[in-house]
Amino acid sequence: MVDINEAVRSIQATFGTKIRSADRVREIPVVTAAKQDIPAIASHIHRASDLRGTLSLQWAVDLRPRQAAYRLYYLFTLGRGTWLILMTELSGEDRLFPSITPRIHAAKWYEREIRDMFGLIAEGHPDLRRLVRHEHWPKGTHPLKKDFSWNHLMGRQDGEYHFRQIEGEGVFEVPVGPIHAGIIEPGHFRFSVAGEPIMQLEVRHFWKHRGVEKLFENLMWSEGVALAERVSGDTSFGHSLCYCQAVEALIGVEVPSRAEYLRTFFLELERLHNHIGDVGAICNDAAYALALAHCGRMKERIMQINDSLTGSRFLRGVNVVGGTSVDLSLDGVTMIEHTLKEIQEDFSDLARILFHNASLTDRLETTGVLKERTARDHGVMGVVGRASSIDRDVRRDHPFAAYGHLTFKVPIYRYGDVRARLRVRIDEVHETIGLILQALENLPAGPISTAMSSAPRPGDWALSAVEGWRGEILYFVMAGEEGKVHRCKVRDPSFVIWPAIQFAVLGNIIPDFPLINKSFNLSYAGTDL
Amino acid sequence: MFRIIRKSLKTGKVTGQYPAPTQPQPEVSDTVREKASVLGRSLTIREVDTGSCNGCEMEMNALMNPVYDAERFGIHIAASPRHADALVVTGPVTVNMERALKDVYAATPDPKLVIALGDCACDCGMFKGSYAVTGPVERHIPVDVKIAGCPPRPSEILGALRKVQGR
Repeated sequence: MVDINEAVRSIQATFGTKIRSADRVREIPVVTAAKQDIPAIASHIHRASDLRGTLSLQWAVDLRPRQAAYRLYYLFTLGRGTWLILMTELSGEDRLFPSITPRIHAAKWYEREIRDMFGLIAEGHPDLRRLVRHEHWPKGTHPLKKDFSWNHLMGRQDGEYHFRQIEGEGVFEVPVGPIHAGIIEPGHFRFSVAGEPIMQLEVRHFWKHRGVEKLFENLMWSEGVALAERVSGDTSFGHSLCYCQAVEALIGVEVPSRAEYLRTFFLELERLHNHIGDVGAICNDAAYALALAHCGRMKERIMQINDSLTGSRFLRGVNVVGGTSVDLSLDGVTMIEHTLKEIQEDFSDLARILFHNASLTDRLETTGVLKERTARDHGVMGVVGRASSIDRDVRRDHPFAAYGHLTFKVPIYRYGDVRARLRVRIDEVHETIGLILQALENLPAGPISTAMSSAPRPGDWALSAVEGWRGEILYFVMAGEEGKVHRCKVRDPSFVIWPAIQFAVLGNIIPDFPLINKSFNLSYAGTDL
Repeated sequence: MFRIIRKSLKTGKVTGQYPAPTQPQPEVSDTVREKASVLGRSLTIREVDTGSCNGCEMEMNALMNPVYDAERFGIHIAASPRHADALVVTGPVTVNMERALKDVYAATPDPKLVIALGDCACDCGMFKGSYAVTGPVERHIPVDVKIAGCPPRPSEILGALRKVQGR
C-alpha cells in the first residue's frame, strides 16, 4: 500500500516550488502546478519506483461563467487504489497545453477527447486526428464548452478520416462495420492483413455519441440518476450507483446501512447475469452453441428475478440519491437464496462440461493474448485486467457500499488469453453468488434512504468509483449554480480497454476476432457517450 | 458426451417460461399487416443500432434464448440487410449514424418493414434535443411499427412481432 502523505511529500521534495499547492478535497490529495510543468510531474508519478501511478482518468472542466478558465485534471491511481489528482489551469484565451501522451500512453484517447470536446489542444500529441467528432462535424464545434448550447443544430461538412495504413506487397485492408452481423452495437474496425494474420487493427468508434455529458449539465443533480442508467444499459445499476455516490459525497448525505447492503446485492446481481451471459456468448463465438443455450437460460432466470424484485429487468429506478427506492421482503430473500443455490449448481455443472471439451479449449487458449505490460501501459483494469495479472478491484481497494464488511476473493490469471478472461468470469460468478448470500444474511434492518438536506456549493466536486461487472467506473461531478450539474465526467472501463484490444489481436487471424472481441465484451455506448 | 445428455435431460424444457406481457400491445395497422402477409410465416430481421444504450440489444438477444426462442415462430436474425424482410432500429439516430441508417435502408430489398424498438427509437427518449441526435427513426426512414418501452421486455417484443406476422 502506498502511503499517500509520503507520496505527496516525495513529489514536493522532487519538484520544490514548481508545486503551487497541495490540498485535500474529500481525502483526495490535489497537487496543482503550472501547465508547462505537468509533463515532468506526471511522468515522475508514473515512473518513480515509490509511486508507480497509473493514469486512471484525464478530463477538463470549463469554469465559465464563474471564471474564464479551463481546468485540467489528471487522476492517478498509486499502487492498488490510492488516488492522487494533478491539476492545472488554462486561463483567458489560452487553448494549448503540453501533452503527456509521449510519456504516458494511457493519456492518448483522453487528450484527443479533450481536444474534441473543449477545443483545447495537446501540444506534442503524436496523433491529433478527431476522435469523438467524426469528420462531417463542422470546424469549431466543441460541445462541452459552456458557450455551446446543448440543443445546437449540427451542420455538415465534407471530410475524411485517415486510417493508419500499412503498405506493401500482399497487404490488404479489411473494413468491418459500423453495422455488424450480430445484434451488437455499431463500431468500425479496420484490419490490415498479410495472408491470414492481423498486422494491424485500428478501432474507430464514437458512432453512438449522444452527448451524454452535455445532457447532464442540463439536469438538476437529483435528476441525473435516470440518465446515468442509460449511459450503458447493461451496466445500468453500476453507472447509477457511481453517480449517486458522487452526488452523495457532494451534499454530504449518509446512506443508511440497509441501503448500502441492498446496493451491494443489486450490483452483484447485475454482475451475475452479465458474467453468465458472457460465458455463453464467448463459447458460442467458438461455435459451442450448447453453452449459449444453457447460459442464456440461466441469465434469463436472473433477469426475471430482477424484474420481479424491482419492476425492471435492468434494475432501473432502484438507485436514488440517498439510498434505494426498493426494499427486499423476507419472502424475497428466501426465494433468492434458494434460486441462487440452484443456479450455482447448474452453472458449475456447465463449467465442468466446458473445460472437458478439448476442441473448445483449443480455440480459447493462446488466442488474443493481452500482455501484462500492454495492459499496464493502457491502464487496463477490470475483468480484462485481472486476466492479464493486473490485480485491481475497486470493491477491495476502495471499498464502497457494503463491500468493506464482506469477504471475497479477487481471481487473477496470468496468461491474458481468451481462456483466462473466461476463467476470471467463471470464478467471479462463484464469488458473486457468495457475496450475495453474505449480503442477504447480514442485511441490517432500518430505513432504505436518507432525505436530502442541503444543496452542494457551486464549484464543489466529488469523485466516485464503482467496480461494475466490466471494471472500474468513474464519475466526476462538479456542482453548478441553482442545483444544476456543472460538469459530469463519465468514464466507463470500456473507454480505457478499447485501445488495448488493438494490441491483443496482433498475429491472430480475422476469424478469431469476434471471439477475442467477445471475450473483452466492451460497451460501445459507454465509450461513445 | 454423457454429461451433456444428462445436463439436457436434467434441465428439461424451458421454452415459454416467462410472465405474460403486461404492457398494452402496439398498434399494427392493416396496411402493415398486408405488407407483411407476402412474407408468409417467416420474418427475417436485421437489427440496427443507431445510438441506443444497448439495453434494447440485450433484450433482442434474449429473444433468441431458449426461453423465448423466437425461431419457433419463424423469426430469424439476418447477418446482412440484404437478407432481411424487416429492420428493427434501436436508439435515437445520432449525427454519426444517420448516413449508416439510410444506407442500410437502401440496401434492404423491397417490400420491407421498419420497426422502431424502444422509447429512443420512437421519440428519442431522454436524448431528445441533444446536439448529437438528429431525431427519431421516422424522421429519416418510414416507420411501420413502434414498440415503446425503455427497454421493452422480450415478451412484449415477441408479442409485437407476432402481431406483425398477423398472428
